[in-house]
Amino acid sequence: MPLVRKSAGAQPATTATAAAVLEGLASSSEDIRWAAARAAADLPECAPALAAALPAESAPRVRTAMLTSLARRGDARSAAAILSLLRSDDASLRVAALDALRLMIHGTAELLPALLGDRDPDIRILSCELARALPGETATPLLCQLLRHEPEVNVCAAAVEVLAEAGQREALPVLAQCAARFPDEPFLCFAIQVAAERISSRPPHPRV
Amino acid sequence: MCDFLYRRTGMVFNETKRYYVARRVSERMTATGSGSFTSYFARLRTDAGNEIELFINAFTVNETYFYREDHQLHCLTANLLAERLRAGHRSTGLRIWCAPCSTGEEPYSVAMWLLENWPAVDEHEIEILGSDIDTVALQASAQGIFGKRALMRLSEPLVGKYFVPLQNERWQIIEELRQSVRFSQVNLIDPATTRPHGQFDVIFCRNVLIYFDDASRRVAAENLFENLLPGGFICLGHSESMSRISPLFDVRRFDDAIVYQRPDPRGTYGHA
Repeated sequence: MPLVRKSAGAQPATTATAAAVLEGLASSSEDIRWAAARAAADLPECAPALAAALPAESAPRVRTAMLTSLARRGDARSAAAILSLLRSDDASLRVAALDALRLMIHGTAELLPALLGDRDPDIRILSCELARALPGETATPLLCQLLRHEPEVNVCAAAVEVLAEAGQREALPVLAQCAARFPDEPFLCFAIQVAAERISSRPPHPRV
Repeated sequence: MCDFLYRRTGMVFNETKRYYVARRVSERMTATGSGSFTSYFARLRTDAGNEIELFINAFTVNETYFYREDHQLHCLTANLLAERLRAGHRSTGLRIWCAPCSTGEEPYSVAMWLLENWPAVDEHEIEILGSDIDTVALQASAQGIFGKRALMRLSEPLVGKYFVPLQNERWQIIEELRQSVRFSQVNLIDPATTRPHGQFDVIFCRNVLIYFDDASRRVAAENLFENLLPGGFICLGHSESMSRISPLFDVRRFDDAIVYQRPDPRGTYGHA
């Protein structure tokens, strides 16, 4: 029979030390940086170095591993390290950062009020997307706060889209006010109408 | 309790699975003679009597059958293996990993499929490994005894060729085939258990990532990435998409299946 059965355990697993991880993160070898980025998730003392190395990392797969490790840490400090990538000119980097922040939504949540008030409307749009990962009862007041004063129609549209999916009834009057602020934006008024219908059709306290 | 299970396996059980969880905890409490949940949880946390392993075993789903999702097996012999061989630069034979393997149906299916459907099977050394987190399932895999339902998609000639009939509508995989497939324990979210298995040409990782949350899926994807040779392929279950889990892999569309590929920095995919 051509099928062969090999003996087990050809490659023993090794445990990385903090010193090796810190050295590895600065290596010129992509493979070593990948291994260091992955190992850093289990070494809290390496988190600052991991966060510091992330913005400069150019290899996509190493960046992915760094984002996963920071997301696994899940704290606000790790989230803050990833947030800087939301301002990148590289769309793939922004999406990767957004995906990672969604994974660590508990760490991201406390940063969201500031993000939703960021001076950059693109950041506010991406932040609305992050709010989608929150429970409806948490996302609704955050997005309502934004909608009350948001001057950019596209940001409002992003918030309305999330509310349509997860919003609670407290959002209904805020949505109506938003529509009244943008009477010349028919697409937004239509989106608000759809969102309001969906929210109204849900039970008063949906479990999200 | 669910958090305990999540941290060790990546499997997520929320409020909607309360009955499922409660029933299995109750079974383990009875099996261990624990008089209260508190005493059972203490036993679990201290891993008395290897309870963590037994507890995890109670939560795994081992319902499968031979030649399940055989379009991927078609793809394996029509496209994947030939491409792996064309890619060259190999120092070992072809390596195929079924993780998870449940009670063995999948790795034995791969073995039977290759023997029956791949003309080049005699020209290459092929290693098939089945791995699972459930140690009871692994024991059953090595034993290779199956009921009628597991064999429902196999023709009579195939059953006659690769199985020995036992009593009570049970069949056992022939000794020669059982000795050709190796089994081992693995926890897909723990690199300490995935790395020792080395790198493979093809990994079948079907219908397990659906039990993980997004964070655990990403960790599992990165572990599987390490376990693939550059240019190697991974096949997921029909309802699973690697593109939604991790950007590490390339999507490859073949006539019979969509599979995912670890990029090869040398660019030698061996595309036809």
